[in-house]
Amino acid sequence: MIKKILIANRGEIAVRIIRACREMEIETVAVYSEADAKSLHTQLADEALCIGPSPSVQSYLNMQQIISATLITGADAIHPGFGFLSENSRFAKLCEECNITFIGANSEILNKLGNKSEARNTMLAAGVPVIPGTKDPVYDVHHGEKEAERIGYPVMIKAALGGGGKGMRTAFSADEFAFAFQTAQKESSMAFGDDTMYIEHLVEHPRHIEFQILADIKGNIVHLGERDCSIQRNHQKVIEEAPCEAISEKLRRRMGDTAIRAAKAVHYVSAGTIEFLLDKNDQFYFMEMNTRIQVEHPVTEMVTGMDLIKEQIKIASGKVLSISQKNINIFGHAIECRINAESPDKNFRPSPGTIRTLYLPGGCGIRMDTAIYSGYSVPPYYDSMIAKLIVHGQNRKEAIAKMISALGEVIVEGIDTNVDYLYQILNESDYQAGRADIEYLNTHLQ
Amino acid sequence: MEWKKLFKKTRRAHSELDERHSHPEVPKGLLKRCNACKAAILTEDVKKDYYTCPKCHNYFRVHAYRRIEMIGDKNNFEEWDRSLPEINPLHFKGYNEKLIYLKNETKLDEAVLTGRIRIEEQEAAVGVCDGRFMMGSMGQVVGEKITRAVERATKEKLPMILFVCSGGARMQEGIVSLMQMAKTAAALKRHSDAGLLYITVLTDPTTGGVTASFAMLGDIILAEPGALIGFAGPRVIEQTIGEKLPKGFQRSEFLLEHGFIDRIVERGEQRQILSQILKLHKYVEKTALNSESFRMAYGLSKVFGNAEETKNAYIKGKQQEKYLSAWERVLLSRRKDRPIGTDYIQGLFTEFIELHGDRYCKEDRAIVGGVASFHGIPITVIAQEKGKTTRENMKRNFGMPSPDGYRKALRLMKQAEKFGRPVICFVDTPGAFCGIAAEMRGQGEAIARNLYEMSALKVPVLSLVIGEGGSGGALGIAVANEVWMMENAVYSVLSPEGFASILWKDSKRASEAAEVMKLTSRDLKKLDVIDQIIPEPEPLTRDGLYPVLCSLRVKIDAFLQKYQMMSGEQLSAHRYLRFRKM
Repeated sequence: MIKKILIANRGEIAVRIIRACREMEIETVAVYSEADAKSLHTQLADEALCIGPSPSVQSYLNMQQIISATLITGADAIHPGFGFLSENSRFAKLCEECNITFIGANSEILNKLGNKSEARNTMLAAGVPVIPGTKDPVYDVHHGEKEAERIGYPVMIKAALGGGGKGMRTAFSADEFAFAFQTAQKESSMAFGDDTMYIEHLVEHPRHIEFQILADIKGNIVHLGERDCSIQRNHQKVIEEAPCEAISEKLRRRMGDTAIRAAKAVHYVSAGTIEFLLDKNDQFYFMEMNTRIQVEHPVTEMVTGMDLIKEQIKIASGKVLSISQKNINIFGHAIECRINAESPDKNFRPSPGTIRTLYLPGGCGIRMDTAIYSGYSVPPYYDSMIAKLIVHGQNRKEAIAKMISALGEVIVEGIDTNVDYLYQILNESDYQAGRADIEYLNTHLQ
Repeated sequence: MEWKKLFKKTRRAHSELDERHSHPEVPKGLLKRCNACKAAILTEDVKKDYYTCPKCHNYFRVHAYRRIEMIGDKNNFEEWDRSLPEINPLHFKGYNEKLIYLKNETKLDEAVLTGRIRIEEQEAAVGVCDGRFMMGSMGQVVGEKITRAVERATKEKLPMILFVCSGGARMQEGIVSLMQMAKTAAALKRHSDAGLLYITVLTDPTTGGVTASFAMLGDIILAEPGALIGFAGPRVIEQTIGEKLPKGFQRSEFLLEHGFIDRIVERGEQRQILSQILKLHKYVEKTALNSESFRMAYGLSKVFGNAEETKNAYIKGKQQEKYLSAWERVLLSRRKDRPIGTDYIQGLFTEFIELHGDRYCKEDRAIVGGVASFHGIPITVIAQEKGKTTRENMKRNFGMPSPDGYRKALRLMKQAEKFGRPVICFVDTPGAFCGIAAEMRGQGEAIARNLYEMSALKVPVLSLVIGEGGSGGALGIAVANEVWMMENAVYSVLSPEGFASILWKDSKRASEAAEVMKLTSRDLKKLDVIDQIIPEPEPLTRDGLYPVLCSLRVKIDAFLQKYQMMSGEQLSAHRYLRFRKM
């Protein structure tokens, strides 16, 4: 049984994990880099250990150092949080070899899911829909045309070595294909000296929908409904909510069953997330499976009343799930905003520095997950997210109203934040009407 | 803010979770400690990174059999001469017991392992020293194994590769051990006289009698980064001279700077580099070189077909040519954006391996040299190199070679002669360097020696003046069967400035001097000092080099076709007559 957990992370999520442990009467060990000596997590934990200099490669990513810290403090488990080593199969393997419980998926699962093409094949075999595309490279336009026909228009033509939009073209019909293919291929040869192409079905105006699941070692799996994370800026999630209003009860059941099937296919154990792309015709496609606890997990907690970190710890210590699918009820609507130390006016450049004044909102249905305090210095070395504001209301309308009210109360002085930017999104009529897809922020509010 | 003491800590109590036994511990062998940076490192990472520290990149010593695995093709090693009888010539007490103990401990039979290896399908004889066995020291058995391997390589016409790691001669065997130095060196001389290639890879440490014998005799000497390489050990030197030695003394980088090794090779690239060197030294029958099938195999006709078109296109564009004065050409030849030696090397050849050092004193970066492939034909390439940026100009000493540069060039030309490959030189220098150190090391002697030795080289030599051909400094690599010039290059006894100042006591009259001196390609062609003018687009810049390279490829191919057919004697006679008539 787990008596002491080392938290191999920092900031808000480290605090979140320490709090869950305190409630469970599990002792906690915080590890920190030189830049984080005064961070809240190091102060709140029962013990704290410095594991290296400020750059994460030398501290939060330094596996040997973290293992040593675990052995020194006598902790019997490591919670990796998100980011850093949370989905590193090498690290999970090391923990297994040292007889340390890694709170997350085991190294075998991490390996399997880390290999994109293998994961795709596993899902295909389990009957989980994936975005149709070519398995083998395409070099010639006639072969490409045949493949595109099989995949179904519209299609995306991608260079194998592509990046930054180079060597990438879309074709909405067979008439457009040859030109698009040749342009993309020529661009790729010029830019990367390679003419290997792939073709994939283009999902138009999709939403990013993900399902939270819990799976124990006995093979019991439940899902806790979905989260809509379509509000993204440069592939970074900005606002997440649960449930998604565009999903009917019937579709939710279908997607939930698929998520469970996907988890079963890899013999999944721990908390996890299955990400889907959902198009306007209710077609959905598997994107990837995340094995970590996610940043946006609180919205699921708010609408289900469950504590996902505690569940993760219980599963890791070998406990069987205490709930079944029929006991899980989704109640009301929750929204989360990620508050970042960044300057929206300066192209969202990170804005580290010392927080002079801080006032955070509270009240009915308002939750603030953060590690900042008045006088705290945001270091420049790590992710710029400093807080998550989560609200829970009877319905989406009430939740939006609560969020607008709460954002209006946030005061952070000394550094720039994106609070006003978030406030602006919440007030957009398209957002309020629930019409936003994943392209929304890239085409509006830039 | 210090809140640490204000927060209430977790109550120690029984948790709701079930009891489970868990005792975290690190299994044996999972972690190692780096002896250089002291960091804890994963054994698996060390192996993956070719036995280097993943944190500080320190090189760990490698067991001989691991070395074979790292370098050779899988399961293709054939071991030679295992278990030769051991000797104890001095009847040294405890020596036999020590040998028995080490044999058991290391599973080796002696401090060196020899045999036949294949590297990317190319066969070679190989020897690998193992430091675990009495610090790789050379006793009679080590000397014998190496000698036998070299003799066998000579007999079977195999290249020889030795990975060296040794403390030197084996004290326990006394004078017998000293004699191994002479024995191995003698065997290697015979191997070399048979025209065969010998490569050494010096690893940490290479010292004493081993350095003073087989380690330093490679045609090509490679070294691992940071390896200690020297004759006397640093501690002995410090005690003898009573001084502290500078940092980096006797390390690979120090030796490279002082001209004793050809290049430093990281472990990760050793297999590839060795394979490339072997490929460039593959024995090709001279007569086969110009056969149609050989040319087809290397895609020569195809390449030249395209080249011909490009060439025609750019010659058409040149028809309205305008008159340029000699001084204008001098200025063109000195332009900052004019292509330099390495641009030609990169454009004309593939698989270029740069080789460094004169093996006497210093590495001179004003001359770049090495082996490369011209459509499958190995060529020794030598270029005077000015550099492109100011920083590079400084490093290259603005293309003004020191005696060490000429000695390096000569060493590479002699090597070319041994392996029967043509030499192509690119001349671009304001002149040989004028300096105290250059004079001390014999600038005049170095240039003279090059003229003397180059005249009799038994392989085709081509020199191309690509920019400035400044005096003796240029001639030092231009005693060739044919000398070509880029249209706007210049070649003269002295710079126009120098000429004006000597004859007219006024260096400002340089432009006037340029006209008088007859230093342009056209003038020199009339004087028969050069054989060919290579037309150039105006102005010739690095970006516009491509059409020139295309026409050069055709011309070089024709040159090789003509001169490869001649015997060594014919070639040196041809060169003799070329300069005899001047």
